[in-house]
Amino acid sequence: MPLLNVSPVDRLYETLPNLDDINIPARAPQPDGATEDTQTIAAAFGDRILAAGLQRDLPFVHVAPADLRDLVTWLRDGELAYTTLIDITSVDLSELPDPDPDVRFQTIYLLRSLARHKALFIVCPLPGGEDAEAPSLARQFPGAIWPEREVMDLMGIRFADHPDPRRILMPTAWPNHPLRKDVPLGGEDVPFSLTWDHPEFDALGDQILDPESLPPDLPPGMNRQNMILNMGPHHPSTHGVLRLVVELDGERVVNVDPDLGYLHSGFEKTGEHRRYKDFVYYTDRMDYLSAMNNNLGYVLAVEGMLDLEIPARAQAIRVIMSEMQRIASHLFWLSTHVLDISGNGMSLLMYATRERERILDLFEMVCGARLTTSYIRIGGVWKDLPEAFLGALSEFCDLFPGRIDEYRDLVKDSPIWRTRLEGIGMVSREDALAMGLTGPMLRGSGVDWDLRRDQPYSGYEQYEFDVPTSNRGDGFGRYEIRMEEMRQSIRIIRQALDRLPDGPYRSDDRKVNPPPRTELDVSMESLIHHFKLFTEGFKVPPGMYYHGIEASKGELGFFIYSDGSGKPYRLHVRGPSFNNLYAISGMSRGLMLSDIITNIGSIDIVLGEVDR
Amino acid sequence: MGLESNLKEGSLVTARLEDLVNWARRNSTWPLLFGLACCAMEMIAAGTARHDIARYGSELFRATPRQADLIIVSGRVSNKMAPVIRRLHDQMLEPKWVIAMGICASAGGPFNNYAIVQGVDKIIPVDVYVPGCPPRPEALLYGMELLRQKQSGEHFSKYVFTPEQPGAPAEAEQAMAGLVPRIG
Repeated sequence: MPLLNVSPVDRLYETLPNLDDINIPARAPQPDGATEDTQTIAAAFGDRILAAGLQRDLPFVHVAPADLRDLVTWLRDGELAYTTLIDITSVDLSELPDPDPDVRFQTIYLLRSLARHKALFIVCPLPGGEDAEAPSLARQFPGAIWPEREVMDLMGIRFADHPDPRRILMPTAWPNHPLRKDVPLGGEDVPFSLTWDHPEFDALGDQILDPESLPPDLPPGMNRQNMILNMGPHHPSTHGVLRLVVELDGERVVNVDPDLGYLHSGFEKTGEHRRYKDFVYYTDRMDYLSAMNNNLGYVLAVEGMLDLEIPARAQAIRVIMSEMQRIASHLFWLSTHVLDISGNGMSLLMYATRERERILDLFEMVCGARLTTSYIRIGGVWKDLPEAFLGALSEFCDLFPGRIDEYRDLVKDSPIWRTRLEGIGMVSREDALAMGLTGPMLRGSGVDWDLRRDQPYSGYEQYEFDVPTSNRGDGFGRYEIRMEEMRQSIRIIRQALDRLPDGPYRSDDRKVNPPPRTELDVSMESLIHHFKLFTEGFKVPPGMYYHGIEASKGELGFFIYSDGSGKPYRLHVRGPSFNNLYAISGMSRGLMLSDIITNIGSIDIVLGEVDR
Repeated sequence: MGLESNLKEGSLVTARLEDLVNWARRNSTWPLLFGLACCAMEMIAAGTARHDIARYGSELFRATPRQADLIIVSGRVSNKMAPVIRRLHDQMLEPKWVIAMGICASAGGPFNNYAIVQGVDKIIPVDVYVPGCPPRPEALLYGMELLRQKQSGEHFSKYVFTPEQPGAPAEAEQAMAGLVPRIG
């Protein structure tokens, strides 16, 4: 008996795995099955491997901390050639069922073999309860130093033989390790009636540390015989609130020590207290210059856990948005970089933001927001593209390549631009791999690696595009790469526009996406789905999952440990800027003070993502 | 067009000194070159050609707090950053104004957690709150319009420090001794 003009709904919605027979919370299951690589590892290491196999489609190897260094060195130097350490994270297991009082923490390492297009996760359960210690991988991979400091700071795990065991994000006097499960989320429960006269008001400011509790320590390895200079956190050229302690011999840089955390916002801890669909809105505010990329990275991780099918139209829209965002982000990089180092910077800032505003206008057309878009949602996108959008976008695609030529003509042969970029900020191919650099930083050192082409996601395999690389290894090479990436993005957008498929713009899985409003009037089942979705959210099967995408600055990855409930048990973000920024010390040593500014711009950092 | 075309050679204009000074201050409020997070991007957008903050005399972002009149707190304030912002504000000379741009600077926004100070008004006094996440450049310009309205009605007496006031600058005490209002 159809009511209104809506056809009755007769499809079965139970497409998600049934979680009713799992006791929630649950631990991540042990890996099962095998791949060639896990078999090779198991054959080589025998009993020293605690478990090996697949979890969903990702290969995991469990190993005791005593064997971790041997395994990693063997993987790096052996035939498997896992040459890059992408990420280190950790999980506090204490609130999962059957807690083992001795093994409270585990660390998780992600290695990549760029030559063989393979990824491998190593899980390392740490004995010692609250006072756990893991071996440091700093000797094997210099890129491990900062992620290990982050784990040390936020989770309170010690790393044996770590060269620089200091806090990295939180203030030095901070009393706890915020990501531990027994530390509350914090924040304030402020009633709206609270006024200045209220006695509770005095207590509100208690969490603010006074400046005296933050002594400016001399970083290790620096010598007071030389000049020690403080740059930031308020400095016009550090692209945000980055603080650098610089040791200078005359005007020559002897050492640079970045001090992070001035924009630490507790994204990961907040994520553990939000439902899966609600965290999309937080991702906008991480790398605030590429919100669409952040949305995409996060939703792909959650969709991977749900095994959700995404309609072809939604995938194409996502690609278009992601590439537009890449252009907008690179335009902002170009304008601020030129502003920092070249005489004609102000005019290029005005020109480049002119085109960026056009992209933001297009974003506004599809979702109403300029910066914090939240357009890409779990299961698809928020709304279909409006009619006027396609025409406006193809107009932009026609106009933009000519504008890139204009920018190139403005700077490329300028003697200031050339002398300040050529040979400045050198990163060798070996260093780039060892430090775990990604994105234009990696390609600028001659490594041909782009996740869009080498591990395609969201239908990137359908598009033809080139991945620009440069063997220069200096700031000029990275400039050329980013300029070419903008052209390639236009090429991808054109292809996506030409064969934009029709069909739904989001999955019609009612467990994940709310039913359309019209359906609520006729279908009790839809009403229940709607109610459940907006009161408790959807549940995600227990397990570990990671998904990385090629964002404008490099590999942006989301690691999720699900305990089967409606919120992530642990959410970790691998921000490209964080790992790339580690390179600044090596790039700047021996150069002039002003070259540090060039290098900051050349790395292209966004502090919201570095500090998270 | 302007005032000068309506005046004859050698004319005089009479006005209250307060009005004249306020007119000058509100049309050349120089902000501090200082950005925190997402809102800073919209602040920069307000400075570029389309929104053109120069129409209101505020295009000159000064990198040192000693030359700035206005601090636009554009983004979330972390516990580690809070002492720095407090010091920047202390280093600015009177008269000085504060705009809390966006919900994070106004009240903590979505970040009600251990890391973020729930509103910059816990550490410095705020004149104008601009809502939004982030506010559009137009919203910031409107916030500055509200600030200009506030600036037009200010009195010199606001900047006279009494000796009893804790932390009153020494020169303010001298100015009080000579009963000369300090106009900053």
